[in-house]
Amino acid sequence: MMGIDGAVAFLTGWGGMHGWAMATAAVVSAAAAVVGSLLVVRRMSLIGDAISHAVLPGIVVGVLLGGRPGGPLATAGAVVAALVTVWLAELLRSKGRLSEDAAAGVVFTTLFAAGVALLSAAASRVDADPGCVLYGMLELVPFDVVELAGVEIPRAFLTGVVVLVSLLVALWSTWRWQVATAFDTDAAAVVGIPARAMTVGLLCATAVVTVASFEAVGAVIVVAMLVVPAATAELLATTLVGLMLMATGLAVTAAGGGYLVAWQLETNAAGMIAAVLGVGYGVAILVSREGILARVSSMLRLRWRVVCEDVLAAAWRAEETGQAVPGTSRRGVALVAAWWLERRGRLLPGLVLSPQGRLEAEMVVRSHRLWETWLGRHVGLPLDHLHPPAEWIEHYLGAEMRQRLEQEMATLADPHGSAIPPER
Amino acid sequence: MSLLTAAAHVLGLSPNTFVVTVGMAAVGMAAGVVGCFSVLRRRALVGDAAAHATLPGVAIAFAITGSRGLPVLLLGAALSAVASLGVLVLLRRFTRTREDAATAIVIGVSFGVGVALISGLVARGVPGSGGLERFLLGSTASLSTADATMLVVVSLVAMALVAAFTKEATLVSFDPGFAAAAGWPVWWIDFALVALTAVMVVVGLPAAGAVLVTALVVIPPVAARQWTDRVGVMLVLAGLFGLAASLLGVALSATIPGLATGPMVVLAASAIFTVSLLLAPKRGLLAIAMRARQPLSLPLERAQP
Repeated sequence: MMGIDGAVAFLTGWGGMHGWAMATAAVVSAAAAVVGSLLVVRRMSLIGDAISHAVLPGIVVGVLLGGRPGGPLATAGAVVAALVTVWLAELLRSKGRLSEDAAAGVVFTTLFAAGVALLSAAASRVDADPGCVLYGMLELVPFDVVELAGVEIPRAFLTGVVVLVSLLVALWSTWRWQVATAFDTDAAAVVGIPARAMTVGLLCATAVVTVASFEAVGAVIVVAMLVVPAATAELLATTLVGLMLMATGLAVTAAGGGYLVAWQLETNAAGMIAAVLGVGYGVAILVSREGILARVSSMLRLRWRVVCEDVLAAAWRAEETGQAVPGTSRRGVALVAAWWLERRGRLLPGLVLSPQGRLEAEMVVRSHRLWETWLGRHVGLPLDHLHPPAEWIEHYLGAEMRQRLEQEMATLADPHGSAIPPER
Repeated sequence: MSLLTAAAHVLGLSPNTFVVTVGMAAVGMAAGVVGCFSVLRRRALVGDAAAHATLPGVAIAFAITGSRGLPVLLLGAALSAVASLGVLVLLRRFTRTREDAATAIVIGVSFGVGVALISGLVARGVPGSGGLERFLLGSTASLSTADATMLVVVSLVAMALVAAFTKEATLVSFDPGFAAAAGWPVWWIDFALVALTAVMVVVGLPAAGAVLVTALVVIPPVAARQWTDRVGVMLVLAGLFGLAASLLGVALSATIPGLATGPMVVLAASAIFTVSLLLAPKRGLLAIAMRARQPLSLPLERAQP
């Protein structure tokens, strides 16, 4: 059996410790992604940012009281600090009449500064330096181990697993309440759902995740782990469950990938994980269903259709009057369109319409002249102002619309006296 | 120059320390003044995105030029701060991502990239790369007289710009709709205000570092707002508060070895804010509590018809 033995051999073998460091990064990233999904959906990303900074003094006090950076005392300190942050920001907003972002800006910078100052003042008694606060020490995580069933497991990894599992249990048991609160807090409160408790719970969860990922990625980069996977998944997913699953998948992939890239390039793993997450978000912006590529391609397709239809219509009008096709259809993009239409069997050489091309051209001209008639009758535009709007709308009228226009107009010629071709 | 030496001598400081102190004071003051409009415009955290985004710029400028000079590094910081603001605008325009998430993404990712770049440079043993870490939490230790002079000049220019365009900036901050209807180029004024904030964040880096410099443009204006309802007074007060916080913070961090400047500057600013929040005459919490204790005096006697 490869299974568990293989996994353990892999984790304790390759490169000594890389496997454990990656596993730790993956677990804390997954936990952050789950919490972050709710933060992003509830438009609380910046509160997440503020809390991840502001828990620092809580962690430091917990450590000064004899705890470890990822231990229960530090966690308790962090949760208290998170709640104080939110309470203070709310107090400044309501009593101090500050705007929400200014209040958050004041509180989290102050608490973070206090945390760094405390840490520097107590540097000799605490085994965490300001550098660790800013970007974590993922590379050192595998050296602080506890023995469990004969296997030495990094403490930070165990903490991450405990936090992730408790998070999932808490989420599963309150799922319907969470969803209701996330999408309409007021409505949820009205129907008796403890919306306020859900919000406080989410804030506490943010604090707990920050503590769990503190040793691995520090208190600043964790904001990337919280927000980026969820924001990326939001572009791709359509349901909350889908969003969470996708965000978790992205987070784990980026954790592994970012660690490997950082290891190859000899640089900080936490920073590189954030960078990889950023690249993933950039790719999602391009390729998602409403992404930039999709929008640009649909715009280009529309432009192309307009050019092709204009070439066909010009050829049809030339046929009607017996004159040569105007020069505009023999230049630039129109030339390419003519070549394409010839290949597709709409045109014969020399801008002559094929039967299929004639049919399509007739429908464009029909739309054009029907619209001119309608404008002339209902808008009262002078004759020489009818052409430009019709030139634009001829590409958007369907068969049904043409039918109705024809019924209402009940005429066979447009205001210029040209015949309106019949529907085919 | 002799005047400067004399002034330094009177205060018992070395000429360099004196110039650096003046530089920090000017930066704190200008940051407070410029920050007023980002607070009034409710864009307090846009500066935070720009601040975190300075880090990749510093690292790239160092990697390209190999120069440790502050002007080069700050130029890189300014370029990447402005680029990050551009990214924010594009994200809001072209994606479904909401503004709060977009800001957090810029903060987290750009900081991560900056940390990865700096630690990569350090791991390769590039001479001088270790000094880049001072941009994280701020340090005035390595500032030269020329550097400090540059900071002073930029700060003075920034304050002069605000003084010259106070009317326009006030109009856009309080009623952008009216400003647009009255024919003011609102987009450009807005852009100039945000760009000016980005510039102040950049020159504030030596004082407070990328993580905390946003406090320099947020806290003094917020404190000043407590005391007054007039923009002119708020600008002056915010400048004075910024100046005081900056000086106090730099002085405090000099007395405690191993302590970065940034946290101390921020804590000094918060102390000023706390006092303002409690004691300001009309909006202060104490004044509000006193008013609440006074008996209600309603105009009971109505004019008889």
